[in-house]
Amino acid sequence: MTEVIQNGKMPPPVRRSDGVIVPFTKDLIVKSLVKETQLVSVLYGENPLTEQEAMMIASEVEEEITHMQLKMLSGPLIREIVNVKLLEHGFAKHRNVYTRVGMPLYDVYQIDNSEGYESKENANLQANPETFHKKKADFLSKESYLLMIPSHIADAHLRGDIHLHDLEYWGTRPFCQDWDLRYFFYYGLMPDGTGTHTSVAGPAKHAEVAILHAAKVLGAAQTNFAGGQGFFNFTVFMAPYLKDFDDRKLHQTAQMFLYEMTQLYVARGGQPVFSSIQIESGVPKVWQNAPVVSHGKKWTDLRYGDLEDVVHRFSIALLDEYLEGDALKKMFNFPKPEVVQRSRYWNDKNFEDVMMRAAELSAKFGSTYYDNLIPSYRGGEDGVSCFQCCAYSFSEDGNSESFQKKINFEDGAHFSMGGMQVVTLNLPRIAYKSGGDETRMFETLQDTMELAKEALLLKDKITIRQFERGLVPFASQRPKGAPPAVDIHNLSLTMGFVGMNELVEYMTGYQIHEDPSAQKLALKTLIMMDKIRKSFAEATGKKFSIARTPAESAAQRFAVADLIHYPKFARELVKGDLETSLPLLESTKDVPVFYTNGAHVNVAAAVPLDQRLDIEQKFFPILKGGDIFHVWLGEANPDPEALLKLNRKLATDSWVGYWSHTKDITMCRSCGYVGGGMSSRCPVCGSESVKSFSRITGYYQDVSSWNAAKRQELKERYRVRIGK
Amino acid sequence: MSVAAGKVYAAEMVPVSFCDFISEPASVIFFSGCNFDCGYCQNWRLKKQLDEALTPISVISDALARNKLISACKVTGGEPLLQLEPLIEIGKFAKSIGLKFGIDTNGSLPDRLEQVLPILDLVSLDIKAPFDRHAYSKVTCIPSPDLDSIKSSIRLAVRSSAYLDIRMVIIPGYNDDLSMMGTIDSELRSAGFSAKAESGMACITIVEFLPENAHSQLLRTVPNPSVELLRNVASKFAFKNVRISHRALSGRLRQD
Repeated sequence: MTEVIQNGKMPPPVRRSDGVIVPFTKDLIVKSLVKETQLVSVLYGENPLTEQEAMMIASEVEEEITHMQLKMLSGPLIREIVNVKLLEHGFAKHRNVYTRVGMPLYDVYQIDNSEGYESKENANLQANPETFHKKKADFLSKESYLLMIPSHIADAHLRGDIHLHDLEYWGTRPFCQDWDLRYFFYYGLMPDGTGTHTSVAGPAKHAEVAILHAAKVLGAAQTNFAGGQGFFNFTVFMAPYLKDFDDRKLHQTAQMFLYEMTQLYVARGGQPVFSSIQIESGVPKVWQNAPVVSHGKKWTDLRYGDLEDVVHRFSIALLDEYLEGDALKKMFNFPKPEVVQRSRYWNDKNFEDVMMRAAELSAKFGSTYYDNLIPSYRGGEDGVSCFQCCAYSFSEDGNSESFQKKINFEDGAHFSMGGMQVVTLNLPRIAYKSGGDETRMFETLQDTMELAKEALLLKDKITIRQFERGLVPFASQRPKGAPPAVDIHNLSLTMGFVGMNELVEYMTGYQIHEDPSAQKLALKTLIMMDKIRKSFAEATGKKFSIARTPAESAAQRFAVADLIHYPKFARELVKGDLETSLPLLESTKDVPVFYTNGAHVNVAAAVPLDQRLDIEQKFFPILKGGDIFHVWLGEANPDPEALLKLNRKLATDSWVGYWSHTKDITMCRSCGYVGGGMSSRCPVCGSESVKSFSRITGYYQDVSSWNAAKRQELKERYRVRIGK
Repeated sequence: MSVAAGKVYAAEMVPVSFCDFISEPASVIFFSGCNFDCGYCQNWRLKKQLDEALTPISVISDALARNKLISACKVTGGEPLLQLEPLIEIGKFAKSIGLKFGIDTNGSLPDRLEQVLPILDLVSLDIKAPFDRHAYSKVTCIPSPDLDSIKSSIRLAVRSSAYLDIRMVIIPGYNDDLSMMGTIDSELRSAGFSAKAESGMACITIVEFLPENAHSQLLRTVPNPSVELLRNVASKFAFKNVRISHRALSGRLRQD
């Protein structure tokens, strides 16, 4: 490095971050201030700095620096001094946009060693080079968006009133999507959405190509979306490619897809695509007479109803392959199989084999999800609906104007169901703020929901702008002048919530399972939330919905935030291990405390399954945006036929729209043993190199990668057995 | 063993179980008290009839009546037949509300079994070891086990209309001598088990022993049996419906 002579009267030269050394120039500060504070008007609608104001700041900075007697200056250092001056003069918002974002070197070092920053926020992220890169990018993005979002919303997020999910993608990506495969089977595949950076494939003509296209659609889509990617009606739309296949080839094709979806280890910092497929055992009523779309054409002589036998056999092949597992006999954790429940599948003996395999898969790995379309609130046989990724639900009403057009793929009209963004409400805090007064509680609820609405509409606006500029290219693609792949104006704006159980516990003194008054208030609160939601939808024309949030990290974050801001109340109400957590809070926020998710019954409550069902099923018809009923199977090896009977009851005789059976599984890395229960040593070879898997929130993952709150929740899950 | 009227020693209840009643979601009631002392027992806390386990039968029947998810009820223990009257009362109630009813038994009380059999849909009968006094004694810790009673129980159960599940928990080094399995096979054969299995009303389940749950400290150091061993034991029974139950085979009970 060049030795630089110190000059006592002039500021020293500047080592700039673009790699050159230049003399200090005050004018550069003025220019950058005037230019960069334009963002104050873009982001917050307020005035940028004037030239005079910028001059004044720059002069003071020069004076300050001259007094510091430095040998060398750097761009970042000058910027920090400018920021201090901006704050001193009351230009807080101008400071927001002028500041640098980044992280301490120590934290970067930690990330490269798989420690520190959010190392357990998402259990799907393995420690690997891509993940470390993503963590750094995530940090930078989150910090920037917290500055760009209006401060009252950002502060509400930071304080823990609300949780803005996937904040790192706030300004760039919508949330999730369930795709219509017909689109790609008609127009072909452009993974980059434009065909300039990737090759462009014509429509698939062979089954293998169709399956690979399907896998690549989800992989490409993941680069444009923050959350889960799935195919609704998967078995039906695949059927035209499979119609001449025998069972062996159907199984081979099914196996290919499962491997593709669990081995494309490339999404979002090196993880598999968070994917799901809807498995129909037959052809649903609305599709029976719809023309088949595949091989690049719309068939004039083939209806989906003609392919029912193929659909049936393919759904069996898929479930057989899920049951088989991978080469180590362990489960395929993606794509999540969403097995559709319809009256016909339970009444017609012909479909018993699919329902039986679904139950066997639950018994073996717990991996089946049941998407129940029987309850009337799901829209019955006349609409299109799906549960997806983290148990969010999307639907299209059969009475809507464009519905039939989409069914018939008229001019490329197709379904596009998905979510724009999720904002989760911290319900217990709403209760704390009300001081236990119900009227005030509902007022606070309304205020908090207004805030969430504002955040959701902002995200909607930003994302639509990005979309229209072609900056979400896979989603906005229009091959051969087709309608855009994603209907960006029609994505759900979802309000999630955590801690209904603790809200009612604070208000009534009872947890949801403890007293009818608590259940009544939970229901009343949900109905109120739905009423507010409706008013938002009517006022804006947007698809607002209320859902149970998976809240893998939000359930913990809210509990921790309330221990800090509302310690008196929160200490009484947070679930988990408070004693261990309190002293740890100084040094980490990853502590084993949490709020009960959604409107669920406390996982540790000694409530038999049937009573839990009685309570939780009542919430489903209101939570049209998504909910899940968990049946914890614990360690036992369940009898598939017994599960089949339970499934029939849940499907045909409850309001549950979505459920799964969760089984704990241990896998041995030495001998390949896979079995039920959580063991610290392998029951076959005795090795201690074992991994335990369970369902963390809406998907299966290695327990050691869970955050402390989720591991505590696992410990506390009530496992059916009760003493008296 | 006398019980106060309307009460039963029953320490626990599993409101909904998917692994205790063949093909049915069932409530499982754990009666206290046992006349055996098996070292591998997972439910050894139920061995004694403690006062705190004394439960009004109405509590149990209310829980059964309220439960909309179950299609069966099973009494296990302990040895359910030690409290015959409450057992029959609960059984009759369960049947009256449309539930299937079954019990687990060690087969040592054939006279009592005979009395309850008419209302049973399922008998899960434990065979602890090959029919050899020494082997049986080693597992049950009873000095001179009455093997004839157990054989009588098998005959009664085979002749009944109930589904019969013969269960054997395999403990390596205790009851896994393959050369002795013939004693069980021939007993079952002469009892007419073959025809019952053929008609789909009986099965044999060879079950993995779980050391971590064993009562006896000594048995906790015994390794669990391999799938292979269970298969070998199963192969000694030439009937239809021989199943094995092992954690490594979850999902389906493999048929050999």
